[in-house]
Amino acid sequence: MTIDTATPAAPHVVRRLTEDRRRILFAYVAMIGVFIVGGLLNSAFVSGQSIRANLIIASFVGIVAAGQAFVILIGGIDLSVPWVINGAAIMLVSTSLGRNDRALFAVAATLGFGLFIGFVNGVGIAYLSVPAVVMTLGMNGVMEGLTLGRSKGLTCGSCASYAPSSVRALYDTRLLGIPLGLFVWLLIAIAIAFVLSATTFGRRIYAVGNSPRVSFLAGVSVKPLTVVLYMLSGMFAALCGILLVAYGGQPALGMGDPFLFQSIAAVVIGGVSILGGRGHYVGVLAGAVTLVALVSVLQGRQWLHESDRSIVYGVTIIVILLLYGRSREES
Amino acid sequence: MTTKPDDPVVVNKREHDGERSSAWRHFSLQNAPLILSMLILAGTLIAYVTLYKRELHKFPTNFDWTSLVNTALPLVFAAVGQSFVVLTRGIDLSVGGMMDISNSLAAVHLRPTPASMIAWSVVILLVGAAGGLVNGLLVAYARLQPILVTLATLSIYQGLALRVLKEPGGAVPPAYTNFLTSTKRPSGLLLVALAGGLWWVFRRTRFGMGVFALGNDEVAARANGIAVRRLKVWAYVLAGLFAAAGGLLMTATRTGGDATAGTVYTLTSIAAVVLGGISFLGGRGSAIGAICGAFALTLVENVLFFAHIEPLYTPFYQGLFLIIAVLLGSVAGRLARGRTR
Repeated sequence: MTIDTATPAAPHVVRRLTEDRRRILFAYVAMIGVFIVGGLLNSAFVSGQSIRANLIIASFVGIVAAGQAFVILIGGIDLSVPWVINGAAIMLVSTSLGRNDRALFAVAATLGFGLFIGFVNGVGIAYLSVPAVVMTLGMNGVMEGLTLGRSKGLTCGSCASYAPSSVRALYDTRLLGIPLGLFVWLLIAIAIAFVLSATTFGRRIYAVGNSPRVSFLAGVSVKPLTVVLYMLSGMFAALCGILLVAYGGQPALGMGDPFLFQSIAAVVIGGVSILGGRGHYVGVLAGAVTLVALVSVLQGRQWLHESDRSIVYGVTIIVILLLYGRSREES
Repeated sequence: MTTKPDDPVVVNKREHDGERSSAWRHFSLQNAPLILSMLILAGTLIAYVTLYKRELHKFPTNFDWTSLVNTALPLVFAAVGQSFVVLTRGIDLSVGGMMDISNSLAAVHLRPTPASMIAWSVVILLVGAAGGLVNGLLVAYARLQPILVTLATLSIYQGLALRVLKEPGGAVPPAYTNFLTSTKRPSGLLLVALAGGLWWVFRRTRFGMGVFALGNDEVAARANGIAVRRLKVWAYVLAGLFAAAGGLLMTATRTGGDATAGTVYTLTSIAAVVLGGISFLGGRGSAIGAICGAFALTLVENVLFFAHIEPLYTPFYQGLFLIIAVLLGSVAGRLARGRTR
């Protein structure tokens, strides 16, 4: 998955910067484009209520995509997100049992669980040199089996609990008409943008993404960094699980499945190179919103059968990619 | 994961530097991943026979073996198809969607006459090749990343499959099942041999050599006059063709069609390729390994059944098996290379 010859035009630092910015710009143009088309097809699509609903769904995708962006930036990938999300969602309700006095403990334990899974992924990939695709694919199976087995296929007594009301307040309470859950996403976005652009940690991520060997020679601890990034991915997946039950109240089996491909697609539509080393979370924000808005535009078309939606969805992604996702001509 | 552990240049250099390597050592170095995948298959086979004997107090019968082969068949073909693409340093996530299309078309259109069965099988294989062609053109000529292209086409193919067959149904002529996946004759085994034979031929053609060359180093391959783009397209076409064949075989082992039943093969075909020791860095590996991987994965399911593992935990053990097998591979590879140094 990683290719360390991805930067043929490396010396032109200025040109590289502008190209990255251009990709981010494209992502926002695509986002606005989807809203315009959606609004033309159905004016209710651009109402405050509809935009709010879209942003909430986009925040779930965007938060998983945050972790996915971190590992993709170093040329990795995390295929274990679906069942980390699902496991986290079930873990939250079954440890909190819907009680507010246990909510804090449950949230902390669930995030810790995500970090731990990410840690195992990272150690396998960085220290045992298992390819990222294999490690995280295997981990997804491991988590699926554990989640299904431990919860007896979601029939266990504590699985029927609801998320505590203090957690559900994230979407029940609004500030300036905006649910608190969206502020969580905003804070995360600001924090990640800061980390990527203004910290040595962020610079190291780009360095490793462009060339692990050169970064290593330049003194970057590549392996620990890799582990930390997979831990972040695990944590963001777990956070998504928490937010999903906060929004929906109860977990369901398979609730994490759509997020695998959507998180990868959001990252790439947001202008992050799947080969690593280029792109920014600022673009991924737009990627997540574009993707979710696109899905909801398609779902709004009653005359469109589910199968046609899936076709249009795929075709649109290819069109977006053709517009700006092309890799440079090699040699 | 960013360096090729056994770069051909390094291997050659080592051979010239040190004392002359024996032919056997050269062979085992080149084929270490393949040998390992065979060992994994042997391991799962022993586990299967042992547990079978313990549970049923007899050895697996011919019927058991033929049905085992038949169960593995769709995965075998999907995995061989996936191999071509992985060798070009790509990945094909649309395999599952292609098998859905193939399965749906077959369930809707096959009639119990030889002409209908043959004609539709050919048409479906061509549809698979066309699907692969779309992937290949987008990857090679539009220069999009394989993982993204095939992600998008997976969605498209799944949608098309649902258009063909809205809900599970249709019918499969018994003669079709009997011909391809009979439990009385080793027809399944013949098909596995066919897949392996096609691979053997592929490996010895200019096309096959070109695919290996471009997977190892695209720039060098192009500099040596290999039509990189065209070969890439053909690799995806082959993947689509084999996926469609896998879908037909899946249809033959079932009584009807289901437009979503094939989707699972996207991930299992990748798992089989991984177990087969084909490198995701391209240009290294053998589809024979992928066939071994496909059988190992099928056997694991049977082993888990005979070991009385709670079915809900099955994915747990499959995931663990995948990780441990690959881990063993990287440890064994490190040891083998350490010894030759």
